[in-house]
Amino acid sequence: MIEYIQSALLIISAFLIIISAVGVLSLKKDSKNVVYARIHIFGVFDIACIIAMIGLGQYLLAGIYFILAPFIAHAIANAYWKKEDRENNLDLVTVEEVVDDNNPFIHSKEKMQALESENSEKLKADERFSVTMLDIDEGE
Amino acid sequence: MDILFISKYLVVIALIILMLAALRASAYKSTSMGLLGSSVIVNAFALALLIIGGLYNLEFYRDISLALIFFGFVGTVAFAVVLGGDDE
Repeated sequence: MIEYIQSALLIISAFLIIISAVGVLSLKKDSKNVVYARIHIFGVFDIACIIAMIGLGQYLLAGIYFILAPFIAHAIANAYWKKEDRENNLDLVTVEEVVDDNNPFIHSKEKMQALESENSEKLKADERFSVTMLDIDEGE
Repeated sequence: MDILFISKYLVVIALIILMLAALRASAYKSTSMGLLGSSVIVNAFALALLIIGGLYNLEFYRDISLALIFFGFVGTVAFAVVLGGDDE
């Protein structure tokens, strides 16, 4: 019975490994964020490795690999983001702000900064309501 | 023929296919892709060694596999840290 369970685990892992191989090869290399997509696909391979190790009876190796695999994926993705992706694609750093003008509760950042600046039209309009003080002369 | 024997060979064949795919992927223009491909090849080789060592009664195959997984991790993370550079 245990033999059948081991065989099932190994066959599942072989299936997952072939899926990840096909996935890596079928990605177009000119598409956007292809490195992150490949790191993601190799995550399937990591889990397949862990399943195969459990099927082979190597539980300690499976546990170690289960802990180490996310660190590898994160380290590679972080290095790619910091040195290659961010420097080659400068448009990733600037964030485009999409504001709906019809929404009365959301305003664009430029509009708010213009309102808060000293020479804004809003402040000039507020001068109509400025407070005037009366000087009272006690001698009169 | 034993079904466990066949399934072990199936995994080895799948691992060989994945190693070729990772080799192809590591030829991508980015350095990180080469790092990822080499890391995957090392891990796939460690798993293949686990299976083949059990089939052919190789000596120390578990230790070599553990060393490959552990030092593969250390090398990959070290290379990634050097590639990423310092924080700004």
